[in-house]
Amino acid sequence: MKDLKAYIESGVLELYVLGDLTQSERQEVELMLARHPELKAELTEIEKALDLYAEKHAIAPAEKLRDRVIDSLVLADEPRVFEEETREPVIKQSNFYKYGFAASVALLLLSIIVIINLRSQLQESNQRIASLELSNQKFSSRVNHIENSLSSVTEALEIYQNPAFKKVRLVGTPKAPEASMVVAFNPAEKEVMIDLASLKMPATDQQHQYQLWALVDGKPVDLGVFDTKTDTTGMIRMKAVNEAQAFAVTLEPRGGSIAPTLEQMMAMGSI
Amino acid sequence: MSRRNKISLAEPELIKAIRDREKLGAEALYDMYSSSLYGVIYRTIQDEELAEDLLQETFVKIWNSFSQFDETKGRLFTWMINIARNVAIDKTRSKDYRNTARNQDIENSVNLVDAERNTTLNPETLGVKDMVENLKPESKAVLDLVYFKGYTHVEAAEELGLPLGTVKTRIRIAISTLRKLFN
Repeated sequence: MKDLKAYIESGVLELYVLGDLTQSERQEVELMLARHPELKAELTEIEKALDLYAEKHAIAPAEKLRDRVIDSLVLADEPRVFEEETREPVIKQSNFYKYGFAASVALLLLSIIVIINLRSQLQESNQRIASLELSNQKFSSRVNHIENSLSSVTEALEIYQNPAFKKVRLVGTPKAPEASMVVAFNPAEKEVMIDLASLKMPATDQQHQYQLWALVDGKPVDLGVFDTKTDTTGMIRMKAVNEAQAFAVTLEPRGGSIAPTLEQMMAMGSI
Repeated sequence: MSRRNKISLAEPELIKAIRDREKLGAEALYDMYSSSLYGVIYRTIQDEELAEDLLQETFVKIWNSFSQFDETKGRLFTWMINIARNVAIDKTRSKDYRNTARNQDIENSVNLVDAERNTTLNPETLGVKDMVENLKPESKAVLDLVYFKGYTHVEAAEELGLPLGTVKTRIRIAISTLRKLFN
């Protein structure tokens, strides 16, 4: 019992009545109260003392307040049921709108996310298409180029294989000892071709071009001008001539000359 | 104080009438306890209009949560006073109340209430009022902080700059003094 006295004197019951204990402290006190009736009596005394202390501070509220307060209490013989019935649909409705609104917002957010996602996917796809188009263009131009080369090579091959063509090798003069080229000549069809693949001539500047001449009975006949382009293959067709004893190449001003500049004779070859 | 006859019931009848949600129960509840509850609320909140609103809120709470009251576990008056205290103390902790300038110095306002409201005290407890003045001021200050202002004893110790043990002792002394005075 000495323990109980100490417990009482600790003031914990006062704090319990004042509501100044934590949840676990309260539970502890309640456990003690259940075990010891004398503690319960002590507690009641404390409660009475504080109740009287509160009562000591009593102040009569304004008269008008009585009806207001009593009217705000829901009584049994009064429209409690009725009120609940009329209230409920309102609550339900407002809940419906509340949830509806929340759902709409959620749906809107979801849609925005999906749209943003799709948009970025679309952009990515567009970029891929653009890059595919570009590489497709590159590829097809490359195929074109290869086709062109192939057809000119095929053409050159046909000419070389055709016995009607005479292949005339032109060799460099002292002016251009390294020069050499092949002219193919078909007297029957009056065709003169230059094989660019075998063309080995010094490069010309912008103001000059090479001019091919046929020597017909000792007289030079103009067969047209050509450039040295190292990246070109195949044959180029020159002006027609039906007979020739020799071919010669001179370096002439761009566009060619009416008569060959003999001192600029670069290569020559006879049939 | 009023010409209207106040309705009073013995406690068991009152409890039954409230449980049955009878009009008589509501009227008796109000007539028997409105002054005590209003006094505690006014003491805490010190604003007449606000105290009237909180008194109504307190009665609605008592009425609607009456199923939680267990007369085998505690006194009805204690249960109701604690609801009033909680309603009022919650209000003092709310932002809008804190922002008003009324809630300034607790000691001053408590004294002010006493000065202002002396004449309206319940005549039945007037004798008690005299006795309560025997409470030592330092004990009364601690008790009022906890009881009316909702301070924990830890907060009261901080507020008054006292050791925790001293605050606990003063609370106990104050309540013991009240017990002696009332018996």
